[in-house]
Amino acid sequence: MTAVIETEGLGKRYRARWALAGCTLSIPAGHVVGLVGPNGAGKTTLINLATGMLAPSAGTIEVLGGRPIAGPAQLARVGYLAQDAPLYAGLPVADHLRLGAHLNPGWDADMARRRVERLCLDHRQKAGTLSGGQRAQLALTLAVAKRPELLILDEPVASLDPLARREFLQDLMEAVAEQEVSVVLSSHLISDLERACDYVIVLVDSRVRVAGPVDDLLATHHLLSGPRRDPASLPGGLEVISASHTDVQTTLLVRTSGPVLDPVWTVSEVGLEDLVLAYMKQAARPAPRNNRRHLEVQK
Amino acid sequence: MIWLTWRQFRAQAITAAAALAAFAIVLAINEPSLSSMYDSSGLLTCHGDACAGLASTFLQNLSSGGGFLIPAASVYMILYFLGVLVILIAPAVTGVFWGAPLIARELEAGTFRLAWNQSVTRTRWLAVKLALIGVAAMAVTEAFSLIQAWWAAPIGKAIGLGGGASIFSEGRFGWFVFPTHGITPLGYAAFGFALGVTAGLLARRPIPAMAITLAIFAAVQFITPLWIRPHLFPTSRTVATIAAAGANVSLRANPKLTLTAGVVPGQPGAWIMSSEGVNAAGQPVSAIPASCEQAVSQALGSHRGTTMGPGSAALNKCVASHGIRVAESYQPASHYWPLQWSETGMFLALALVLAGYCFWRLNRRRS
Repeated sequence: MTAVIETEGLGKRYRARWALAGCTLSIPAGHVVGLVGPNGAGKTTLINLATGMLAPSAGTIEVLGGRPIAGPAQLARVGYLAQDAPLYAGLPVADHLRLGAHLNPGWDADMARRRVERLCLDHRQKAGTLSGGQRAQLALTLAVAKRPELLILDEPVASLDPLARREFLQDLMEAVAEQEVSVVLSSHLISDLERACDYVIVLVDSRVRVAGPVDDLLATHHLLSGPRRDPASLPGGLEVISASHTDVQTTLLVRTSGPVLDPVWTVSEVGLEDLVLAYMKQAARPAPRNNRRHLEVQK
Repeated sequence: MIWLTWRQFRAQAITAAAALAAFAIVLAINEPSLSSMYDSSGLLTCHGDACAGLASTFLQNLSSGGGFLIPAASVYMILYFLGVLVILIAPAVTGVFWGAPLIARELEAGTFRLAWNQSVTRTRWLAVKLALIGVAAMAVTEAFSLIQAWWAAPIGKAIGLGGGASIFSEGRFGWFVFPTHGITPLGYAAFGFALGVTAGLLARRPIPAMAITLAIFAAVQFITPLWIRPHLFPTSRTVATIAAAGANVSLRANPKLTLTAGVVPGQPGAWIMSSEGVNAAGQPVSAIPASCEQAVSQALGSHRGTTMGPGSAALNKCVASHGIRVAESYQPASHYWPLQWSETGMFLALALVLAGYCFWRLNRRRS
């Protein structure tokens, strides 16, 4: 499996503050990859580095095996939809399509025209007067009609209302199905990713907390509930991601390759949102088990 | 890329074309009356020394004609200075309105993320924009200059024939004549534009970039004639009698000796940069000789106590009688084009340096 984005010790510093530090990851090709994480985790910085909007302060990054923005050929292989879908407010829709046609040798004029027709955009309307949803759709049209191998979207739906959000993602899925393109899409709205992505990377504090195909993640994570007990007393092979206790009950999110056989536990499926949140919470407040280990080492 | 550059620049290009057309029309309407005044001035058929007097009369007539908008000024005077003013500020205007927003507006609106992610490198993006719009800025400024020079040709000819003592009589080396004629407008336009682009790239917002551009450009326009132009080319030096140099002893500086030379003997049209009094041995003389005190007080008295009046012939004669002569440093008229090329070349080189910096920074800082 080849990687669309591969980083090694990647870091970006703004004066004294590191927005991203020591980030090593590999994003596989052929997926719609959701990049999730809390605000400030480094998602946008990572995307800016991948699209060449920023230069790394440390480490390396390769996109489709090449240095970002190395030349026109490399630029042509990557489509990028930036946050808030920047467009020229004073230029009409038709001129944005002309811009795409003039600046991209691989421009698919047919597809661009079809998409704009389907979206019912008026060719003469200025981009500045489009609604948020229409802007995002037009910006997406520009990004996909250049026929990239990799499409990078930074919080594409963050500023859209729920209806526009759903339409946009549906539209994105159709565009992806139509042409073979890998997608990396960042968001902090996990429910949206569930609809669109088949691969998830959870990024917390510049580190990859968990990564994998959505189906695999859901198959290997279980929610256990049973009488209150210490998570440390669990058998091996179970990794506790999060634990919560009431006076009498303990609920655990565990990762395991095999089935959970202990009859004490009631095993249930876990949703992607709960799974991702558990990993994000784990970062914010280390799990009790990790704490204990830490103490033991100190003794 | 050429298409996008033109599409984004279209409105400004049309504005510039309209301004240029308006300027040309106004001067073209006035031109026949100016050239008919010249034709009837007798300058076409004059010979020798008679020409200087006729030229002065012609220039005097031009500057004192009937008031049009301002009672004291003739329509020719207004048009002349308006034209010069337009050529002086055109590079600043193109720098501020074309140069400064070029990158800054993309950075402020976030559209650089759109522009720089098409299949065109930033280097090419900037190269096309700088080349097309930079050449447009140079062409517009030079066009203003050529139109004005065409209209003002009779005035230039009259000054060339020795016309003086009028508001127009500033020669080709004059403060506002030199940078608005010949090829210097090209250099100023290129520099102003590159300055605006660089300020925009550094300030990242158009309004501060425009203010910075205007401030620096105005300062450069002010500094150049004072401290740079005189040193672009080696100056010549000569010593002449006070009478031959048409020099005046300044009363304002009394008792210090300050001489202002009017001409360089044998060097018509020379640019006099400085003149000072020297004794027979060539040593500078810093004070008006004591024995000329009577002439000083007479001159002061005749100007009713003011120190601002013109020099006095008696005082000039008295100073000259002490063997004091005038040492002048000057650029001969033949240095006009070398100076034009030097100044233009200097500003073109500065523009290239600024452009090079923009390319470097755009690729290094990425955004």
